[in-house]
Amino acid sequence: MADQLATEIIEKIKEHAESGDDEITVNTELTALGIHSLELTEIIFDLEEKYGIEIEMNTVEAWSNLKNVGDMVAAVRALIDKKA
Amino acid sequence: MRTRVVITGIGGICGLGTNAADIWTEMRAGRSAIGPISNLALHDIKVRTGCEIKQLPDHGIERKQLVAMDRFSLLAVIAAREALQQSGLDITDANTHRAGSIVGVGICGWETVEENYRSILIDGKNRAGIFTVPKVMPGAAAGQVSMNLGLRGPVYGVTSACASSNHAIAAAVDQIRLGRADVMVTGGTDAPMVWGILKGWEALRVLSPDTCRPFSADRQGLVLGEGAGMVVLESFEHAKARGATILGEIAGVGLSGDASDIVAPTIEGPENAMRACLADAGLNAEDVDYLNAHGTGTKANDQIETVAIKRVFGDHAYNLSVSSTKSMHAHCLGASGALEMIACINAICESVVPPTANFREPDPDCDLDVTPNVARERKVRAALSNAFAFGGTNAVLAFKAF
Repeated sequence: MADQLATEIIEKIKEHAESGDDEITVNTELTALGIHSLELTEIIFDLEEKYGIEIEMNTVEAWSNLKNVGDMVAAVRALIDKKA
Repeated sequence: MRTRVVITGIGGICGLGTNAADIWTEMRAGRSAIGPISNLALHDIKVRTGCEIKQLPDHGIERKQLVAMDRFSLLAVIAAREALQQSGLDITDANTHRAGSIVGVGICGWETVEENYRSILIDGKNRAGIFTVPKVMPGAAAGQVSMNLGLRGPVYGVTSACASSNHAIAAAVDQIRLGRADVMVTGGTDAPMVWGILKGWEALRVLSPDTCRPFSADRQGLVLGEGAGMVVLESFEHAKARGATILGEIAGVGLSGDASDIVAPTIEGPENAMRACLADAGLNAEDVDYLNAHGTGTKANDQIETVAIKRVFGDHAYNLSVSSTKSMHAHCLGASGALEMIACINAICESVVPPTANFREPDPDCDLDVTPNVARERKVRAALSNAFAFGGTNAVLAFKAF
């Protein structure tokens, strides 16, 4: 089961994905989304304001480490926890 | 013997139509696509006349590429795909490094610039869109075309305001002549139907309030439009070896600078560019049947261009068919030369000179045969296409029947 943060990120991804891509889960590979990696980065940046976090991220490095939606959720969660 | 450069595909998009064939049909019929601007938020703009693409065609470009493009790049990619398709050329592992793209851009991604300024300065957002830099840069159009078509030879952008297309095509011809590529997808693009751009042009007081009437005594200025035009150029040997249909030849290029004033044109600059073009093409003045004028519809340009044409062509100037198709597709800035190339190639292929639309009243200062309002059937052995720009950067292309 996806938690609240995961659900929220998946909802945001869906807004950017091709219509019909509604089977996105934490296991979906990021490369399978058909979304430009910079656009995915921007989705994370949109969460900055909501969670009051600042994401210091070298986008090229970040994406070489993140493989699926779950990794993306974990990366954001780590930043939120760090702040708390 | 230098390498001959031939045209094997054309593509275009502008207010007249969303493909080169439709654009030519409209040009030939003398129909102007200039009218009230309706696609964009005009805010406080007074001049509300332009030449927009009312609706984009079903282009089939992936969303992943679309989100990273400003409109000027998108228009270039649409036209480039059409041109490559017409050429019948398959880009493969074997030829990808011998095929490139050079795209002329007069402005750059101002829709993106404006979106960001408005969202940050007016709506209070704290950061710019993540694609801002790659969307705005003037070299983006060439890069996006190369990505879409898989071209791994020479790829770069060229800019010289209103002459950008012709300079880009000239640079592409050079790549083939210098042996750096066998195939070049080249042309120009611009998407200036944006508040900030119109506001800037409004300040220059050169925009016509009604329409564009080149060479007509009652002309009131230019009209801005958006669009892109692209061609596939190949060395003759390459085109012949694969049995391609050859639409025409780029016979020569003539370039010059006014070195005078950033906005006011000279007679000598355009004159020298036309002379250099004829010389490069090995053409005599009498060999040219059609001249697609820069013909912006401003008082100064049309008069000065007329004088320059007379100096270059002498008595033959009055036998020449001249027209300004900007009367129909407006001044699409960096795309102008490329759209006018569509006029020249078709004039040669179909033996029809497209007219100068919206013409009402002869001007004694513009006394050449400007093909007023109605197309003229005549054999076109060779055609010249003029492009002059702010900065005094002049570029003239010569096209020849093959």
